[in-house]
Amino acid sequence: MERMSLLGFGACTPDAEFRARLPFPASGINRDAIPAMLRRRSSQATQIAFSAATLACAQAGCSPASLPAVFASVAGEIQTTDQLCVELCKADAMLSPAAFHNSVQNTVAGYWSIAQQCTQAATALAAGYDTFAMALLEAWCQLACHGGELLLVCYDERWPDYLAPGQGQTPFACALVLAAERLPDALLQIGRPFFDASASSASATLININPILTAMPLLTQAAAGNQSSQTRLLIGTGWQVEVYDR
Amino acid sequence: MNRTPRIAPVAITAYECVSAAGDNLNALHTALLANRSCVKPLQLFELPFETVVGEVISPLPAVRPHLQHYACRNARLALHALAQGNIRAATERALARYGAGRVGVVLGTSTSGIYETEIAYKQLLRDGAMPGDFSFLHTHTAQASAEFLWHELELRGPCYSISTACSSSAKALGAAQRLLDADVCDAVLVAGVDSLCRLTLFGFNSLQLVSPEPCRPMDSGRQGINIGEAAALLLLERPASDNAACPRLLAVGEASDAHHMSAPHPEGQGAADAMNRALQLAGRRPEQVDYINLHATASQLNDLSEANAVHRVFRHPPRCAGVKGLLGHTLGAAGAVEVTISLLALEKGFLPGNCGFQHADPQCALPIVADPDLNSPPRLILSNAFGFGGNNASVLLEAA
Repeated sequence: MERMSLLGFGACTPDAEFRARLPFPASGINRDAIPAMLRRRSSQATQIAFSAATLACAQAGCSPASLPAVFASVAGEIQTTDQLCVELCKADAMLSPAAFHNSVQNTVAGYWSIAQQCTQAATALAAGYDTFAMALLEAWCQLACHGGELLLVCYDERWPDYLAPGQGQTPFACALVLAAERLPDALLQIGRPFFDASASSASATLININPILTAMPLLTQAAAGNQSSQTRLLIGTGWQVEVYDR
Repeated sequence: MNRTPRIAPVAITAYECVSAAGDNLNALHTALLANRSCVKPLQLFELPFETVVGEVISPLPAVRPHLQHYACRNARLALHALAQGNIRAATERALARYGAGRVGVVLGTSTSGIYETEIAYKQLLRDGAMPGDFSFLHTHTAQASAEFLWHELELRGPCYSISTACSSSAKALGAAQRLLDADVCDAVLVAGVDSLCRLTLFGFNSLQLVSPEPCRPMDSGRQGINIGEAAALLLLERPASDNAACPRLLAVGEASDAHHMSAPHPEGQGAADAMNRALQLAGRRPEQVDYINLHATASQLNDLSEANAVHRVFRHPPRCAGVKGLLGHTLGAAGAVEVTISLLALEKGFLPGNCGFQHADPQCALPIVADPDLNSPPRLILSNAFGFGGNNASVLLEAA
């Protein structure tokens, strides 16, 4: 496979002020994207990830039930994990069974597969500041090996401020529907992510707001459409990708 | 063109495992042959309920000073495994041969360094601040121990973690195979690392899944799981003449239940899909499988669901057994740990037994190998790992 195709994308952040400053369209949390059984109890991570994923599938015209999915997050269900860690400090600690099974990194992947009745493979990965880059690489490898289409969803909810001071304070999610090979109706064609140790790192400001914002150059390019024939984008700490017009 | 997806096999050129059975493959092999449970009461911290665990008792090595910010029980377990046998030498040989940029690491974990986070929270609640040396992104988050191994070995290839609960490191093997197949890497170190902590022990206890006594997978009297910890490391490379004597990873099948966050699909549909997918990707038929290393946690529902899944895939199921009565359930590490056990079975030519198995459950009705069988060397083994969220992976392995 020489290239993969971007068929649709979506982004979500509940912070309206931040949203207005983004150079690509993003929505707030879309309650209709979250099944009724999850609406009250779902984490911020689930809500923003579902909102972005629903937008991406709609733009791509794909049924979520048929798509294998890659979910990626730096800190996963960190708000639930935080509550459990506080509870564990008590002498008579009692964990809620639901809070425990909702603290795993693949909580969003699990609920997405249940909500969409999707029995395709779903993975959940993490790679620190390179989470978006490694998720895009994992997507590349799945498409190169198995063909077809897949859904990539990257998200991080707001982190408790004492865990990594100054970081992870703005929840953000983005989703891409990607297909193997060059498709004529693609928004963009994307090359294989590669590492260049001499390249500079993605903007520290973006990483501190939310490491998933390393997706910003790619999302900006996807929204802008045909600008130049080939552009090299920085998507992590030395990880880059080339994008091409259709 | 209607093409059946296939993936090229990869060679497993080195592997190691640290677990409750001991520090290396020799200890694991001895324990498998003895088939005596290695689970014991927990030493690491106190528990307000009764259970036994698969704890690594031997002292763990210290992380070197320049990587001190990565130091946590999880990273030290990984470092301990890296010091065994020839896994470090084999990885360094791959680095020299292919170049650091062509060697990656994919790690499967569910706990990462959360044990240290739990300790840090005691200070947070007492003093209002985390300890000065607490480093969230270097210990707590899922990629932390992968990044530690990447720095420790001076790799420059892709580095990430898969965290899909108990299927994590089985899926890491699948991701690594794809990195080789897509020609992103020439070698990938796969790690399955999980460490004991309060979160998982209290959490599984709240789900009423923890057994007070050594667990008995697939047994009619099973009453829940034992939690364990372990680190397993495997080096994957493309098949070549100089690794022709190494066992092969043929394929990893992955599928979702789309059913429930913490209960398996009762008919085992997702698990059956994962097994079928592994066979399909490898171009093999069910009747070619000689032995199934079952996920078999000893939870009532999980074992029943898995038995149903095996019956959906196999008209005549091959002999099978699970090892969690020996080591406990090592959660995110289980996939990789049980692949190392399956590799030992292929290389030493025996079928591991199902430690703790006494009375067959008529509802499961699988041909369980209760005691190790030294007279039936397997060629093809399927190893199952199923996790929360209905996340299933099945690993197909072949003898050299």
